[in-house]
Order: sequence, then C-alpha cells, then structure tokens
Amino acid sequence: MRLVVDRQQLNTMDGRPAVLPVLVCFRLLLAVLPLPGQHLLKHDHQINSPLTSYLRLKEGLWMLDNNVDPYMGGSFHHSPLLLSVFSTILPPIPIIWAVSDAVGAWALLRIWRARQGLSLHKATTSTAESLIVSAYVSSQRVKYASNQPSSCLLNPYLLFPSLALSTSTFENSFTLLALMFASEGKPSSALLAIAFTIHLSPYSILLLLPILMLLITSPTSQLASPRPFHGSINRIASLFGEFMLYWLVLVGAACIITDGSWSWMKASWGASLTLPDLTPNPGLWWYFFTEMFDHFRPFFLMVFSVHLVIYILPICIKFQHDPLYAAFLLIGVLGTFKAYLTLADPGLFLSMISLFPEVHGYLRHPIVTTLLHLHAAFLLPLQHVLWVSEGRGNANFYYAASLVMGMAGGAGLVDACWAGMRIALGDVKVELEGKGQVARWEVAQE
Amino acid sequence: MDRIRTFLRRPKVDASIARLRRRRRAAAILHRNLTKFTTALFIIGYTWMLLIPIPLLSQGTYIDENALQPAQVNTYWNWGDVHTADLHLYQLDGIIDRNLTSEQRAEFFRTEFSKLGLAASTQNYTFTTSKGTISGNNAYAVMSSPRAAGTEATVISASWLSTAGHGALNVRGISAVLSLAAFLKDYSLWAKDIVFVISDDYLHGMHAWLNAYHGTIPSNLHTDPLEHISGVIWTALNIDYSGHSFSHLGVFHEGLNGRLPNQDLINSFRLISHYTGGVPMTVYDHLEPADLVDRWSEWSVLPSWTPAFIRRSPQLQQYEYRARNVVRHIGYQARGTCSGVHGLFHQFRIDAITLFAVPAKGPHGFHALGKIVESTLRTMNNLLERLHASFFFYILTSPGTFLKIGMFLPSAILVSVAMLFKGLGEWVDAGWVREVSEVSLKGTGSLEKEPKTKDMWRNRRRPMLSVLITMVATHVLGVLVFNLLCSRRFDENRSFFVPAILAAVSMVPPALLLLLPKNTPEVAPSSVLLKSSNLCLASTVISIMSLLNFSLAAMLALTMGVPLATSSRSSSTTTSLLRYAAYCILAWGWLVLLPEEVESAIWNWEVLGVWFAPFICIVYAPLVMQAGIVCLQGSS
Repeated sequence: MRLVVDRQQLNTMDGRPAVLPVLVCFRLLLAVLPLPGQHLLKHDHQINSPLTSYLRLKEGLWMLDNNVDPYMGGSFHHSPLLLSVFSTILPPIPIIWAVSDAVGAWALLRIWRARQGLSLHKATTSTAESLIVSAYVSSQRVKYASNQPSSCLLNPYLLFPSLALSTSTFENSFTLLALMFASEGKPSSALLAIAFTIHLSPYSILLLLPILMLLITSPTSQLASPRPFHGSINRIASLFGEFMLYWLVLVGAACIITDGSWSWMKASWGASLTLPDLTPNPGLWWYFFTEMFDHFRPFFLMVFSVHLVIYILPICIKFQHDPLYAAFLLIGVLGTFKAYLTLADPGLFLSMISLFPEVHGYLRHPIVTTLLHLHAAFLLPLQHVLWVSEGRGNANFYYAASLVMGMAGGAGLVDACWAGMRIALGDVKVELEGKGQVARWEVAQE
Repeated sequence: MDRIRTFLRRPKVDASIARLRRRRRAAAILHRNLTKFTTALFIIGYTWMLLIPIPLLSQGTYIDENALQPAQVNTYWNWGDVHTADLHLYQLDGIIDRNLTSEQRAEFFRTEFSKLGLAASTQNYTFTTSKGTISGNNAYAVMSSPRAAGTEATVISASWLSTAGHGALNVRGISAVLSLAAFLKDYSLWAKDIVFVISDDYLHGMHAWLNAYHGTIPSNLHTDPLEHISGVIWTALNIDYSGHSFSHLGVFHEGLNGRLPNQDLINSFRLISHYTGGVPMTVYDHLEPADLVDRWSEWSVLPSWTPAFIRRSPQLQQYEYRARNVVRHIGYQARGTCSGVHGLFHQFRIDAITLFAVPAKGPHGFHALGKIVESTLRTMNNLLERLHASFFFYILTSPGTFLKIGMFLPSAILVSVAMLFKGLGEWVDAGWVREVSEVSLKGTGSLEKEPKTKDMWRNRRRPMLSVLITMVATHVLGVLVFNLLCSRRFDENRSFFVPAILAAVSMVPPALLLLLPKNTPEVAPSSVLLKSSNLCLASTVISIMSLLNFSLAAMLALTMGVPLATSSRSSSTTTSLLRYAAYCILAWGWLVLLPEEVESAIWNWEVLGVWFAPFICIVYAPLVMQAGIVCLQGSS
C-alpha cells in the first residue's frame, strides 16, 4: 500500500474544533453512564488477565480492609502501589480510568509534536494533531486509510480494557508518559515514569534502553537518514543510575506499604516470570504451560522470558538513529509475545503507528494485518464462548484463535520493521507537482 | 557431496536476489490469474456442497465414551407397566374430551406425580412479545436418586403438542412419561436425580421451565421460581409419540442457534433402540430406501417419466435419501431453530434429543418404547463426566453414518477464501493507475521513427473513510429496520410498513452516494474500494460463522458468494439500476416474499432468543446492499 503523506496539508489546516477535549468528554461520559454489559467485560479473559483484572484488585482491597495479607492466597498479583493508592487516596472508580485514558491520549499528542519538532505551546490544534488524538482511540483501519480526523472510531483494543477497569490502562499511560518526557528531553520525569511502568509490569524493562537512548538524542524522525549513534555512553550510565535510584525508592515504598514484607515481589513480579495462573488469555504462553510436564517448566519459563529480552539489542542497534522507533517496535514485541497478554498490549502498538506517518507509505501488507486483526477480534470471543460457555469446543479452539492473534501481532511487527528500514533506501523517483507543492513518492513500474 | 559443497558456497547475495525474483514472479502469476483462481475456488466450494450427501464422504458412527456401555443391561419394563401407560392414556383421552384448561391439565399431572410420592409442582409462566402475551402451565416432578447426593440430574420430558404438527397432541408421550415415573421409582439403580417434565404447548413451555430452573429469566418472561430444584442436568430425553403405533424411532437433534448435542448420545440411543427394543432408528421421520422398497417412488423427487434404471439405482436412491436428511438439517440449523423440544436444552449445555415415534400401523408401542427409554437412562446413568468425547460438529447423513467437520467445513471456507482473494485483488487494483505517456527515446530514437509509448504504473491514494462511513451507515439502517420489525406497530400495520420499509431501504443507499467523493484520477474510485472492503468483510463473516453454525455459513456462501464477487459498475444507467434492484431484492426481498418466515423468525428471537433475525437484518442484508451501492456508484 502506498499512502501519500501530505504533510503540507496536515500542518496548515487549522480552525477545526479541537478533537482532544471532545474525545475526552466522550470518554468521561462513558465512565459516568451506566453501560450495559460492563459486568461481562470485567469477566472477559481477552481484556483482563489475572495481573490486571479489576475483580482481583477489588479482592485484594477487600482482604486489606479485613487485615488479611493480600499476597498470601496466590490470587492477588497487583502492585502494592496500586493497593495503597486505591485503599487510602481514592476508591477505584471508573472516572480514574477515563482520566488515565485522557492522559495517555495527551501524551501521545505531545510525543507527536516533539517528533515533528513543533512548538510545544502552539495555541491551535492542527488537523494532524487531532488525528493523533483520535488514533489513540481510533481503529487501525481509519488511521491507515485517511488523514482526515473527522471520524473518531474508538480503538476497541484500548477502550474495552479501560471500560472493564483493567489496570493495563495505567501501564499504557505510564509507558506513553515515559516516552513523552523522554521525547521532550526531561530525564528525571521520564525515568520516574518508566520506573513506575516497570514496577507495574516488569516486562516493560524492554523499553528502558530505547528511552535512555532517546533522552540523549532527539525524537525527530531519522529513519530516512540512518547514522551511527552519537550520544555519550557515560551519560547513559549516569541516567541508568538515576533510574535505579527511582526504582529502588519505589521498591522501598512498596516494602514499607506491605509492612516490610517481601512477599509482594513474588506475587506480583514473580507471577509474570513464573506463570502460576494459567487462566487463558490471547497470548501464546498459557497453552504451552498447561500441556507441559512440571520438570520442564523452569527451563521453558527461562526460554520464554529470555526470548523477549533477546529483541532489545538487535532492535536498538538497528534503529540506533531513531530510538523512539525502537521503543515502538519493542512495544510491538511486548504486544505479541508477553506473558498474560491482554488486548490492551497490541492496542498500544496499533495506536502508536499513527506517530510515524513517514513509514505508512512503505508498509508492505497493512491490509493483511488489518484482516488478521479483524479475524482475531471476532474469533477470540467466539472460541471462548464455544469452549467455556457452550461446551462445544475445547482449549484447542481458543488457542487456535490466540494463534491468529499472534499472527496478527507478528505481521504488524514485521511490517513495521520492514517499513522502518525500507524508508532509508528512499524512492525510485520523486516528483514535485506544481499544485500545492505536494510531495509524492512514486514507484515506476514497467 | 560436491553438490552440497557448491550449494553451501553459493554467494548469499545471489540467493536473496533469486528469492526476491521468485517471490515477485509468483505474486505476478497469482495476480494475473486471479480471476481463474477465484473462479476455481468458487466452483470447488459449491461442488463440495453438492457432494456432502455422497456416501464416500461419510463415515460410520461409533461410541467414543467408554463409560456409556449402551445396550448392556437387562431391562425390567414389562407388560404390567404397559398397562399403566394404557390407563394413563385413557385418563388423558378423558381430559381432551372434557376440554380442560392448561392450568387444570397441569394440576392433573401434578396430582398424578404426587400420588407416586414424588416431589411435584406446577409452574405458571407468561411471555410478553410484540404480538401479545403467551402463557401456560408446566408440571414437573423430581425423583431423588437413591444412590447419590442429587448434584446431577437427567430429564425425561414430553410436551403437550407434538413435533408432528397440525395440532397433533403428544398424549402417548405424556402417558409414557407418567408410567415411566411410576416404574423408575421402584429401582435403586439411579445415581442421578430424574426430573420428569410435562411442558405446555410445544416450545415455550419448556423454555420457561428451563429458564426458571437455571435462574436465567429474561425480561419478557414472567414466572415464579421453581418449588423443587435438583442438580445440574447433564442429559435429557424428550419423548414425542403422537400416533397410534410406530414402526421406527426418529431422532431429532438440532438445537437453538445451530448447536448440536454430543454425538455419543445419538449413537448409544441407536444401539439401544436396535438391540434392546428391536426398533430401527431413523434420522427425523425419513425412512431409508431399504424400508420403502415399494413406495420409494412416492417419496422420491425424481419425476415418474425418468427411466426405471435411474429411479431404481441404489446409489441414486442413497444419494437422494442422504440429501433429504442434509437439506432438512440445514433447514433447521441455518434458521437457528430447534427441531423439537430437546433443542431448548442445548443452550444450558445439556445434551438432549427427541425420540419421535414415526406414526405407523405397527408393530411397536409402549412396550418397546419403555424398554428403550429405561435402557437409555441406564446408559446415561453411567456417565461420570459430561458427554465430551465424541463429536459436537457433524452432519448426520443416515442413522449409522455422519460427516466429520473436516469433510464439510472446507466447502464454505473455500468460497469465503475466494471472496477474500477477490477483495484483496480489488484492493491492489485500486492502488494503481496506468498512464500511457509518450517517451522520446534518446539514442535509439534515430533507429525507430515513430515515437514509443510507455506504460507507467502510478500509485494513487485509497481514501477509506467515506467508504467505511457508507458501510457503517448500511449496518445502522439494518439495526433500525430490525427494531421496527420487532415493534408492535409493525405487526398491527403490516400492509403499510412492508412497502414503507422496502422504499426506505432502497432509497437511502443512493442518498449515501453523496457521501462518496467524486472520482478523480488522483484517488482510487470509491466503488472499487467499497467492493474490496465489502468482499473482505463478507468473507470474514462467512468463515467465522462456519464454526458457529455451518448451515448458515453455507447459505451465506450461496447467497453472497457470487453476487458480491460480481458486483460491478455498468456503463449504462438502466443496467446498473436493474442490478441495484436485484441486490435490493436479494437483501430485503424476504419481507414481501416470505412473510411467514419473517413472523416465525421474530417470534423465535423474542421468545427463544434465536439470533437469526437480527443477523439477517444487521449483517446479511447490509452486506448485500453494499454490493448494490457498488453498482450504483459507477453509473452516476
């Protein structure tokens, strides 16, 4: 697919109603209104994993209220920080999730501005910016297809987990905040945000290196002109030290909250590494470990975890000229191969595609990715019903659907890698048309 | 060895280039022959559908769950129990003569159950639908198992009306249930509670009872909680015996929304019926050609003028018999309706079948039926876990043969793949425009006088937004029409609303055309984009539906496959208008042509929750309308 990116038009078309406030109001309205089916959403395995489920959070809070250690029973895996926030400062009400969504959309917008090198305090909202906002809540097809922001379909992969009050919303918002601060060159805030993200979900450690690299280079697009990394390694080391400091403070705070006990570490971080709860989810882990003999478990847990970590260096080396893109790809890796995957993880990757309009024209098979996602989004709930409620199917049915999901994630990731590298080769022919100075990339085929 | 060495030493760059070239060539071949390829897929898919009844694709049924042990027990049902059944029948005849109300009937059944010492009660219920209210009374009794804690249960039921239709009453079925209750309670073999249910009317009585039993009372059902509750129901038998005697026992197995019971239940019933009762089993009330040696020509669809050797060909007779079973199966499953009262059980994960006593002059009666039901209950009593081993996705072509899912699913999937390829092909075509420009050749120009033309393939934008809005608008229109069909006003003014709806649904899509941008060389024509996304979406719907309800997917493949793939703009306005009208009829014609179907589909949705009606209005019809818009868009 070749999409013409009409930058001139994107940057100059002003005067439209700002989309961000409208969408945020819409999202807040959704949080306040009593929607039918919310009960079903909270029990849905596609959008809640044991690590992010609202019901488990409530259970932990209840146990805390009744002076029972929440981490004793093996059913509670959330971080002590969430526990303390929701038990002392605020009750877990839907409006918090809506605000978190709004923060995420705002962060995405700021990342886009930083990447385009626009002024941070520009008064008017350009068309493209409203596109970015809608991208956080809009479906993938619209993003690919058009640069008109008039339609803001909600990205179901992000909206439904948020409506189900899954804590993955907070993880996504912290990830975007970390990237935002890193793009704007604010080291302390960025490191604190990523420390929070890693505290909530340990696999986000994948994003640490690209964020450190982003802090000492610029977020502007360098994909078309790759060059060796030029930041100072010493700076990375000192930033890493700062990150460790924040992270240790968070660990200390968590320990203080749990009365000096370390049991929360095994229950919350250990859960994503040792996979104690095999509740089905759209990811690729659970089925393997239901089938596995116990004496193979440690080995394969190690293999699966290391498999994730393996991607950090190759991607950061290949995209050393554009660490934001490397972070984007690593988010795609997490959204495909993570333990306890929920739809919110691929959802973040899909929404972030809109940050990189320059590569859209170089994607090889966006329609195939879209169709795979369409199939997966229909098949996952269907096979779940066939297996769990109707009893006609079995675990293999649902696993087949999650394999389709894996293929969709993989196709998106591979395509994004391809496009990010292909753009450096440039076009066969670039032609400038007189009308409106539209830059258009063309490929001549004989 | 040398060859391997040279293979290993081969420079890598060349290999990559060769691979790229090979890939490009393969893609080019595929793209060039796309029409041939999709046509072949369509033909294979449709032919496969026609071949589903051939015996070659079927395989013999077998028992998969070892615990069942069908037909391995001595039965105790005897002529004395047949006499009890006859006495109940005599009483029931009196009830019919006295024309008792539904409530009095249920009270009578409850008293009969109570006389046996069972915990019995009645249930009054009222359904509210757009056509008014439906109410009735069920009677039921729970027999506690002497051997277990009553956490599991089996249901034996009979409805007041019979599957046979035409107002036939299921009096013998009900007498059988009453006498079985008296008989079964004398034995201490039962490891599961046995629940006897005599439900009112045909379907809605049992639906109300099951919903009350499972505590899932929908908003349009008014009923009190049941007085007596037993454990989790695993299996159920529904007895339907309306005639005087029977020659065969027919099995009806289709449930609501295309769900089927586990095949082990049918297979063990077949063995029990054959070996314990000596009664041959049939699928539905279709007798096999071998049972109809003389009368086959009355059943056959072949006209009488066909030569005798064709009419008497055993292969053809076998094909026709199986085709009849498959068509009946598809008729039930595609509409999502159940073929009997048993079908209501499936939604609660209960495996159930209806035993239909095929009316005949003889030779079987209560004696054979009682023995078979007793033995089947003993088999179901053996279960240690729910039926799960055998098949849930199958087509029963004859009592002893069936098709596995792998033998029929590919037919619909192939059609859907053909549509997907067609859609992707349109998408690729939409992205490129061919430009013929004159090129002055330097150097070689002197040799050839005439200027050479050069084809340039230039890519163009494919704006999807307006196309997506059009698609969403058609589906929203479908939702509106569906809500109208379910309203009371539609039912009261049918003669006004049907033409009004038809006019609205055929006028709104042309209005949507204004949304689509005008064709310019800069961007791909929106009709091509609409066709592409329409085909991709329809293909997704078919392939996903094929897992849930194969029959519906096959029907969609038939009605949407070729029509959607061949939708195109025409140069003349008249032709495109005619085409548009044809798509309108394909999408919404059932409103006029099949009024009874519409009525029953809406009743099924409102009372039983069958999602066929909303699916047709919200998914099927809008998809076809989109193809219609493709035709219109080109002409304007």
